[in-house]
Amino acid sequence: MAFAIQVAARTDVGCVRTNNEDNFGYDIRHGIFVVCDGMGGHSAGEIASRIAVRSLLRFFAEGGPEDSGFLPSERTHEDSADATPLNKAMQFANRAIREAASQDVERSGMGSTIACAQVDGNLVSIGHVGDSRVYLIRERAIQPLTQDHSLVTQSRGEISQTEAKALKLQNIVTRALGPEEVVEPDVDSIIAVSGDVFVLATDGLTKVLRDEEILSTVTSVENLTAACDSLIDRANHMGTDDNVTCLLIRLVEQPWRQSFARRLQFWRTTNARALS
Amino acid sequence: MPGLYLKFREQVIREVVLTQGVVTIGRQPDNLIQIDNPAVSGHHARVYWKDGQYVLEDLESFNGTYLNNSRIEAAVLADRDVIAIGKHTVLFSEQGSDEPAKHRSVDRSISWQRQLDEARLPQLDRTMFLDTQKAKRMLAQAGAVVAGGTVTTGIDPASASASSASSTTAGQRIIGSLTILEGKTDRQHYLLPSKLSAIGRSKLATIRLKKWFAPRLAASIQLRENQYFIVAAGKTSKIIINGNEMVVGQQELKPGDVVEVAGIKARFDYAMR
Repeated sequence: MAFAIQVAARTDVGCVRTNNEDNFGYDIRHGIFVVCDGMGGHSAGEIASRIAVRSLLRFFAEGGPEDSGFLPSERTHEDSADATPLNKAMQFANRAIREAASQDVERSGMGSTIACAQVDGNLVSIGHVGDSRVYLIRERAIQPLTQDHSLVTQSRGEISQTEAKALKLQNIVTRALGPEEVVEPDVDSIIAVSGDVFVLATDGLTKVLRDEEILSTVTSVENLTAACDSLIDRANHMGTDDNVTCLLIRLVEQPWRQSFARRLQFWRTTNARALS
Repeated sequence: MPGLYLKFREQVIREVVLTQGVVTIGRQPDNLIQIDNPAVSGHHARVYWKDGQYVLEDLESFNGTYLNNSRIEAAVLADRDVIAIGKHTVLFSEQGSDEPAKHRSVDRSISWQRQLDEARLPQLDRTMFLDTQKAKRMLAQAGAVVAGGTVTTGIDPASASASSASSTTAGQRIIGSLTILEGKTDRQHYLLPSKLSAIGRSKLATIRLKKWFAPRLAASIQLRENQYFIVAAGKTSKIIINGNEMVVGQQELKPGDVVEVAGIKARFDYAMR
């Protein structure tokens, strides 16, 4: 079965902030999609999230999961889950941020959350660190695929959303790329079916829109770019005090002939470029 | 000091002094006010400080939370309000009780604000990172608030920071393993802690098939509530378990089961972590 990947993404500074610390990126050829929310003063947040996005894409574009050149040669765990390409790529991004932070005292301690997806046919890997999220919309229902690494979530419901808001505990993440040498990303896989939409979003969106609101916004329009725009507009309308970023991926089944034609087309254009 | 007074048959049996923290009420022992009665839900209701008032919130309890005889989901508490939970009543008093408690034990809810001040966290409006040590300490404190000081029922910092790959319910968590007996794969032995471990040629697969023309996704092993299942990837994938071909799309895996799929043969086992 071959899937065509449709993607739409947008980031917005929001109504309150003057700078945008969020970043996103994707590489359809390698099936990699990522959103990041940076943190750190003196615009270090912007830099951290940009490094995170770039190093993740670079990991797959240059080395790929086969190349272990980026990684410590010996595996510390026997755990198969640690060996997933996304996990390795996030470890790589963690080191890249740390390296950049060590070169500039103003950037010391900078970090970034990350939510990412890797698509290979109908097999989809989902990874995250911090409070950026991934949702799956299937058959007009929404399901969160990630669990925030935040103080509120990890207190297992002892702090409610309302209390968290009142005490301003909402923005405290317990895991991030950058601040610590060892990072423990969560990675899980899912088997997609035709029509599935994956939503990658930063907390600027998820703090103000409930899951059902995300669902209704995405399912109300057919066009993915329009859905992305209206998610951002809705978050801004709710008065989000943060940067807002979302990336939508839709997987649609296509007959093998079309998939073959698309590949041929791709091969032709890349070769033409190489020749010229 | 404002307080909550748990009464049964007109006698105060427990008293909690309210500060700006959270008081949970329920049948489970991790509640600050525990009511050991089957009519009471595990985590039945809670009282917390919000915008200068105390709020009573029902935690979707089965038998409901009643405030002055009407069922509520959430309500602001006023002095001398009576909360009814099962056959017990809880009196809210702004001044404190003038009634003598028979077996009184006094507890305090701990203020989150104070814990925050202790942690000295600047710039709270921004996303910020709490290092692992601080996070563990705060989570442990959050557990202590609810558990009333008993550490055993508080949040275990180790499990709070552990991978959320599968359920973190109390008790032993099962982790499956797969040992390859025949066929070409990237490794001989696999742990299966994830909710879904794919078997196939895909680079995303946990169990990566190295044979040419192997399907990108042949099957997956899925963990659902401490049970493992093998699930066929499509109508064409043939799976044999202990010599019998699987006729439906999925089957539970038991320790010692031998699975044959897409040219490999592997034994499933439990590996406790």
